[in-house]
Amino acid sequence: MLHSHVTSTLADSRISRGTPPCRFLSTCDGLPVGLADAETIFALSSGHGRCGVAVVRASGPASATALRCMAGLSRSLPPPRTALLRSITDSQSKEVLDRGLVFWFPAPHSFTGEDSVEFHIHGGPAVITAVLQALGSVPGMRPAEAGEFTRRAFQAGKLDLTEVEGLGDLIHAETEAQRRQALRQMSGELGHLYQDWTHKLKRCLAHVEAFIDFSEDELIEDGVLNQVDRWVCDLQAEMEQHLKDERRGERLRSGVQVVIAGATNAGKSSLLNTLCQRPAAIVSPIAGTTRDIVETALDIGGFPVLLSDTAGLRESQDLVEREGVRRARERVEQADLTLVVVDCAHLPSDAQQAAAFLQEHLRSVLPTQEQPETVFAADRFLLLLNKTDLLPEEQRQKLDRELRRVSGFPPVCLISCHTNEGLQDFLTVLHSSVKTLCGDPLSGAPTLTQARHRAHLQQCFAALAQYQRYRDIDLALAAEGVRLALTSLGRITGRVGAEEILDIIFKDFCIGK
Amino acid sequence: MLTKKLPPLNSFLSLVSRRASHVTRQQYDVIVVGGGHAGTEAAAAAARVGAKTLLVSQKIQTIGALSCNPSLGGVGKGQLVREVDALDGLCGRAGDWAGIHFSILNRSKGPAVWGPRAQLDRQRYREFIQSELLSTPRLTVLEGSVEELLVSETNPEQPGHHRVTGILLANGSHPVSASSVILTTGTFLSGSLFIGQSTSPGGRIGDAPSSSGLSHTLKERLGLRVGRLRTGTPPRILRDSVDFSLAVVQPPDGHPTPFSFLNTRTHCKPEEQLPCHLTYTTPGVERVVKDSLHLNCHIQEDAKGPRYCPSIESRVLRFPGRRHQVWLEPEGLTSDLLYPQGLSMTMPPDVQLSLIRQIPALHRAKIHTHGYGVQYDFVCPTQLSPALQVKNTQGLFLAGQINGTTGYEEAAAQGLWAGVNAARCALSMPTVSLSRTESYIGVLIDDLVSRGVTEPYRMFTSRAEFRTALRPDNADMRLTLKGFEEVGCVSTLRYQEAVRVRDSLQDAQATLQALSLSSNSWKKQLPDIQISEVKNTVMTGMEVLQYNNVSFEMLASAFPESLSRHMEFSQRLKIEAVYRPHCNLQKKEIERIQKEENLLLPHDMDYLSLPVSMSQEVREILDRVRPSTLGAATRLQGITPAAIVHLLNYVRSAELRERRKHRKQQKEEREEELCAAKASLP
Repeated sequence: MLHSHVTSTLADSRISRGTPPCRFLSTCDGLPVGLADAETIFALSSGHGRCGVAVVRASGPASATALRCMAGLSRSLPPPRTALLRSITDSQSKEVLDRGLVFWFPAPHSFTGEDSVEFHIHGGPAVITAVLQALGSVPGMRPAEAGEFTRRAFQAGKLDLTEVEGLGDLIHAETEAQRRQALRQMSGELGHLYQDWTHKLKRCLAHVEAFIDFSEDELIEDGVLNQVDRWVCDLQAEMEQHLKDERRGERLRSGVQVVIAGATNAGKSSLLNTLCQRPAAIVSPIAGTTRDIVETALDIGGFPVLLSDTAGLRESQDLVEREGVRRARERVEQADLTLVVVDCAHLPSDAQQAAAFLQEHLRSVLPTQEQPETVFAADRFLLLLNKTDLLPEEQRQKLDRELRRVSGFPPVCLISCHTNEGLQDFLTVLHSSVKTLCGDPLSGAPTLTQARHRAHLQQCFAALAQYQRYRDIDLALAAEGVRLALTSLGRITGRVGAEEILDIIFKDFCIGK
Repeated sequence: MLTKKLPPLNSFLSLVSRRASHVTRQQYDVIVVGGGHAGTEAAAAAARVGAKTLLVSQKIQTIGALSCNPSLGGVGKGQLVREVDALDGLCGRAGDWAGIHFSILNRSKGPAVWGPRAQLDRQRYREFIQSELLSTPRLTVLEGSVEELLVSETNPEQPGHHRVTGILLANGSHPVSASSVILTTGTFLSGSLFIGQSTSPGGRIGDAPSSSGLSHTLKERLGLRVGRLRTGTPPRILRDSVDFSLAVVQPPDGHPTPFSFLNTRTHCKPEEQLPCHLTYTTPGVERVVKDSLHLNCHIQEDAKGPRYCPSIESRVLRFPGRRHQVWLEPEGLTSDLLYPQGLSMTMPPDVQLSLIRQIPALHRAKIHTHGYGVQYDFVCPTQLSPALQVKNTQGLFLAGQINGTTGYEEAAAQGLWAGVNAARCALSMPTVSLSRTESYIGVLIDDLVSRGVTEPYRMFTSRAEFRTALRPDNADMRLTLKGFEEVGCVSTLRYQEAVRVRDSLQDAQATLQALSLSSNSWKKQLPDIQISEVKNTVMTGMEVLQYNNVSFEMLASAFPESLSRHMEFSQRLKIEAVYRPHCNLQKKEIERIQKEENLLLPHDMDYLSLPVSMSQEVREILDRVRPSTLGAATRLQGITPAAIVHLLNYVRSAELRERRKHRKQQKEEREEELCAAKASLP
């Protein structure tokens, strides 16, 4: 049973602030802004992981409809900004999903300035998934992109200038998070499938465009469009099958992705074993013992964590080890949080030199994209100085002081996996990092991404039908269908530009008058 | 209407060949250098806007010459011609006057991608353009060669910034001064001609190379980045020597469709039109190309040639073992030459002859003029503003091949727009730009100035993301009204016609929308068509017209009293009905882009030290390209969404500061007035 959440934490506190309305709509590659403005978006607004109450938010013109049909309010909407306890049902199957609080925030007095609703429901994954899916089936609703609520608030002039400044950073962080998430997904089976579809669609579009732009002057084989017909048909069949059979979808790795990285023999595997309290990884004094990724699922203070141990980073002639290093680097790129482990014994004894050494070391471990001195990098890394038992007490204290003094460093913990010294402090730091990451519904929330993918795939599927509808009537409108399909899929796999299509045209056809 | 009588050419020449000494004493608003497609449109547009304009060309006779193919329009390019015409440009009407073979390409593929095209009579085209220029008020034409571009000394406070002051003629001792100069030098900027193993300086066979002073000023004095491109032209063949029985005849459309919105018919009568012929290459062609590669220096050079208008050499090398199309196109009603489209080549003259004789219909062919290649400098167009003005040089405009494009239509479109802005600039009016959401001209210019070119740029319909809205049929509604009301380059006559068309279309659409019947009644009215609505829903005439097999004529015969008066626009109404739902879907996206395009980024923004968190990479891109609007910035590669938000924030805070300053000023003024009023009290 839910407690009385009478005032929503998410209720708008900025209503009275008279900021001028903003004329601008921001844009991101792959984000459905603009065209999507009339659409109603929804998302899980609370973090994932173990929690009592989850908040699902919707914003846009169809919010009222969603509230009416899911909270059984056929006649009137509840009074604005007041909690109401209702049974929440799936509008199609009429199945009761949960019992929870609903809030109605009519425009303009909401966070986004649009009509908004909130559902405060029980925090279990099954309930959240069911409610998100039910929302997705309400006409005009689609899952929100990263940062879209904030962006809409921005568009409605609900943020003042300092907040806009912060929005830039937020969008950066969010696109980064999205990029990591996409990287994770794209390396899996599902990713290959979507990439394959994108590739086929690009080809379809290129061939239709070639037929439109060149067939009158050039020798474009007559069969080009028939070939596209077959590809579109096959794609539709594949997508339909994929959308129908939900179980076939690959289970996305859930939880915060924490990766242990560093040079060889720094004690990475020892750290993994210490954290999971069993010898999950082989530990030896020989450098390069760990070659492949060793994964283990952990519960850190109630939050799901997927911990990976990786091969030590060094140049190697050994083919197997080189592959291990490649995988390690890939994993660091995809990680939500990286624990960079350094052997204390390798530090210069002078504390200042040690700081410079560590800075250099971090640079060699971190992925190249992180190099610009961004503020966010610090949230994504923890620096662990291992084997402190081998360091004289005095030197250790100096080092600790010096590292705290230097700015631009990620949090530093001095530990010894051998004596367990400093471990408790480290766990506290780790716990708070993981907690922060979990509060961000973006980091590895599978239900959300799945709902989003589903929506885009459905749009893509529907757009292909437009191709078929207009194929013999108006090829420009048929091509528009393929373009729309590609744009929808591009929201999962990345945008496709006009130049890319032209490149395929010139590769596949001999164009020249 | 095409009722105009062309004046005899020699009277024209005597009028324009003014003595240079007379001209040089004058002060002009706009000087246009070059008399090709870009130059003629630029000069005419500048004069239409109201600027006192001088067009300088090396040879009066070559003004309006078709240097390469004798044709205009096509898929994508036809859209550009319609838009240039809608803005009262020359090439559409010139095409209607000179066309000798009209056809709408892509007729079966949907009206958005129809491509109006015509084969032209070279002489007629030139005559029309020259006669138009002659009758354009405020425009003077001068035969001469430009020695040097005159720019003012650098302002010490703005290093690297210049201002155009005029030109220096090759043999004229006095400089000719002007507020704006438009360079449309085509392939003449450091141009070299290639045939076989020999090269010579020049931009076109038979014409003198242009002076090196111009190219020096652009590169050294103004510090503009240039690149090198190449192109080529095929040999011209004597018509009598061709065996047409071995080629497939390609007839023109029975009813020629004019390019211009002002014309209801073409100069050439339908039955007078000439056919084209289609033939193919043989394995022999490929063999000749491969055997002569060592004699062909143009093909070995590394300057970039167009992928879509390649020489026969690059076609057979890239796609060996295939047959390639060759079109035999007439060069004019009375010309005894043929233009073999698809056979652009640069091999030595004797090899050219043996190559074309490998083609069945050309087995006895004789060459009149040999094919050759051209390499030339272009100015990287990212250094231009959307008004086609060089960013660091006030008053200097570039249009046509000098900006890295290829094609008559692309040149004409840029010429017109550069002419408009050069004139507005000279007359102290703000420059104007066209959005990529409203025109192909906008797409062309935006692609050029925000992305730049790596190979000769040609227009395709696939470059326009709002293709279904930017159709050849509605170019007048998109541009003519704006061209008159906001730009000032459209005559009153054309404007009045556009207003009449707009009102009639609106009236007809309102009538169709009001014609609301149940689907059963529609079935009774139009028994021949299948209306799929099963339920007895209400449908408007506009909705019924969307059906594939329903024409406006059918509706008009069912409801003659309300609809027959709109028969003039039957085709446009049908197209409008089919496309409108799709265009409405795109509206939001279009509005977003237009809003972003309205947010101007300051020209002198110091991106490298802007106090916001932005990566060095992003700063460098912005610093290099200097996008003029936020919209252009979003389309740059490598610009992150976060950077866009920071830029927006900067622009907005600047606006806010401006507004506060303004308010403060107003307040101070009011206080002063108040004080003054108090003081004047007794």
